[in-house]
Amino acid sequence: MAQQDNTPDWKIDFPYSTVETLQVSRRQFAKFLCLVSGGLMAGSGLVAIKSSFFPERKVEGEHFVCNTAALPVGGTRSFTLPGSTVPYILIHLENDEWRAYEQKCTHLSCAVFYKPGTGRIECPCHNGWFDALTGEVVQGPPPRPLPALNVIVKGDAVYVTGQQPA
Amino acid sequence: MSNFRGAHEKAHPNKSNTLLLAIITLLVLIVSMQIWLLYTGLNNALSQHPDIAWITFIVSFVLFVAALGLLYYLPERK
Repeated sequence: MAQQDNTPDWKIDFPYSTVETLQVSRRQFAKFLCLVSGGLMAGSGLVAIKSSFFPERKVEGEHFVCNTAALPVGGTRSFTLPGSTVPYILIHLENDEWRAYEQKCTHLSCAVFYKPGTGRIECPCHNGWFDALTGEVVQGPPPRPLPALNVIVKGDAVYVTGQQPA
Repeated sequence: MSNFRGAHEKAHPNKSNTLLLAIITLLVLIVSMQIWLLYTGLNNALSQHPDIAWITFIVSFVLFVAALGLLYYLPERK
């Protein structure tokens, strides 16, 4: 019958119209939303499993960074720890205290910089600011404080160690 | 004997339309809440609070089951 209507063979074998394949019905959309919901649930599960069973490696031991003479008041120095690619900054604050933080903004991992004289660390990407004394967020989109290291000054040398969880 | 699905199929198209829109609205709300839960769980996991990440996962799971349950009420294709 179909042959008599001049319908080509391929259309009989593959009976889908273009409109049918391109249109998304509301039923399909509802099912897709359910699929997205499942994906988000799986994502939350992965986050929970990763944080509980595969936590990040803690910094172990004491690591030499530089000599005190190498860093004037208000100065900063970038460094990485052996066996790691995470960038850190060592800051010599104006009140002669030393601080070390991860140099990645907790918002979108842009590099952060200490602004001398302000006591603040700036993330230039989205105008995020951290307190250089505590690492806490002062302003902007970062959701968490900067991860910190303990700084130990022994004579002329500056060392960092992992921070014990509170 | 009438059942839910029988009555469902006999419903006026206007009612099916409303039902479908209501389901999609609820699903969008559920997905929005799950995005927020994922964001919260991730932030807490990165701040060394995995217990909160587990709570967000459980709530997200309950919301997913609710979303699956809503699909039962989808009107049949006419």
